[in-house]
Amino acid sequence: MTLRRTQLYEYHREHGRLIEFAGFEMPVWYEGIIPEHNAVRNAVGIFDTSHMGRMRAEGPDAERFLNYVVTNNVSTLEPGRGLYTVMCNERGGIVDDLIIYKLTPDHFFVVYNASNREKDFNWFLRHSEGFDVELKDVSDEIAMIAVQGPKALRTLEKISSRPLSDVERFQIVELELSGVEAMAARTGYTGEDGFEVFIFDATPDRPEKALKVWDSLLEAGEEFGIKPCGLGARDSLRLEAGLCLYGNDIDEDINPLEARLRWVVKFKKPSDFIGREALLRIREEGVKRFRVGIKMEERGIPRKGYEIWDGEGRQKIGVVTSGGYSPTLNVGIAMGYVPREYRKLGTPVRINIRGRLAGGKIVKFHPFYDETKYGWRRVEG
Amino acid sequence: MSEEYEVPEGLYYTEEHEWLKVLDDGNALMGITDYAQKQLHEIVYVELPEVGKEVEQMDVLGAVESVKAVSDVYSPISGTIIEVNETLLDSPELLNEDPYGEGWIAKIKPKNLDAELKKLMTAEEYKKHIEALHH
Repeated sequence: MTLRRTQLYEYHREHGRLIEFAGFEMPVWYEGIIPEHNAVRNAVGIFDTSHMGRMRAEGPDAERFLNYVVTNNVSTLEPGRGLYTVMCNERGGIVDDLIIYKLTPDHFFVVYNASNREKDFNWFLRHSEGFDVELKDVSDEIAMIAVQGPKALRTLEKISSRPLSDVERFQIVELELSGVEAMAARTGYTGEDGFEVFIFDATPDRPEKALKVWDSLLEAGEEFGIKPCGLGARDSLRLEAGLCLYGNDIDEDINPLEARLRWVVKFKKPSDFIGREALLRIREEGVKRFRVGIKMEERGIPRKGYEIWDGEGRQKIGVVTSGGYSPTLNVGIAMGYVPREYRKLGTPVRINIRGRLAGGKIVKFHPFYDETKYGWRRVEG
Repeated sequence: MSEEYEVPEGLYYTEEHEWLKVLDDGNALMGITDYAQKQLHEIVYVELPEVGKEVEQMDVLGAVESVKAVSDVYSPISGTIIEVNETLLDSPELLNEDPYGEGWIAKIKPKNLDAELKKLMTAEEYKKHIEALHH
């Protein structure tokens, strides 16, 4: 199978260690996961996310259609704003998590996971019957760069045609970056402040615009210690922030109520949506298991697929869905699903690490780190 | 990015990227190779065997973990673990910085050394082995 390449492939090949991800040849790191991770927590880093799925939904029924496929209420959006949501199957299982931006009243821009590009677009198409909406998969026409970290704003502003400090979280604005027409949304997947930048009309065989913005960002961020970041740091950063990775922490057999994504399920919105009935039933019957955060208290690093045991080591109570070493906390952390009675903060649990039951406890995980010291909520000094 | 891998002469190597150094007193030191540490990158955790543990050749002896992955460490020979490098517990980065020196993992009292050495690779053979992995 030939791996796909993004607009920034030449840079990755020259500077990074490449791996396969979702059918793409992507950098896992350039200098190393830890320095890249720390650059984003403490200053600024940039990520190529051009492999992600992107779709335009246009037409008089665009809003009504999206409200039918996703669980959140798209009608709350003003033009120029976006929201995080999931979409579910008829059983209430999560088909994907995504961000929807309302550009104009009848034009929406949808961003979803690279690993679900074909599945999602087909899902959208299949359910658009009867709606006056035109769907266009524009994944291959748009380069996407995430600029993340407490210095992301100042870095991006240096190459931007407009000031950015007034842009609110989940707001999307048009701008020029080093003369290249683009849009920037104040979103990200790291827990830090930052922007996701969309460079339109930039197919992989015409990488010039994307490379120009990428290089300008590296230059603009030099004074802050900017680093290009690979998928390794992207994963460790999102894990520390308690953000779900599709395929690990959420999938078609996990519903948003147990995933602790109840806040994006709007049962009271006027329209019906796929999975609503199943989710209402699940809510009535009571959610059996919950996504939790676990921090190790004994030596060892929890990994995806490891068993979670109760604190006494009597029985298996769940499975780790994402785990790893936290560079910020210098300890092993994990997310996984456990029955209701174990979800309380402070509950001792054990992780079966290659036959050894290593002790940990249930902790606050959204995020794992201290929000007065890290993350977008902190006040910059 | 192309990389060069250090493969010192005089050591023995496994296909799983451990090295073995026979000491003058008849015991042997083992660790992971430069190739192994470069593949793992940024080692953040090491699981060491217990002193006194008896191992067979190519038994799992411990594990090293990077931010992204876990990798088992195999014993190049059969014998008894007589010492482990406990410095690695607090400084796992020594495995990256000095894999053939300060990053040694365990000292083994061999049980059947001469016969088992024949199953390991020389530096020349190991160089060919890692070259082949890149084609």
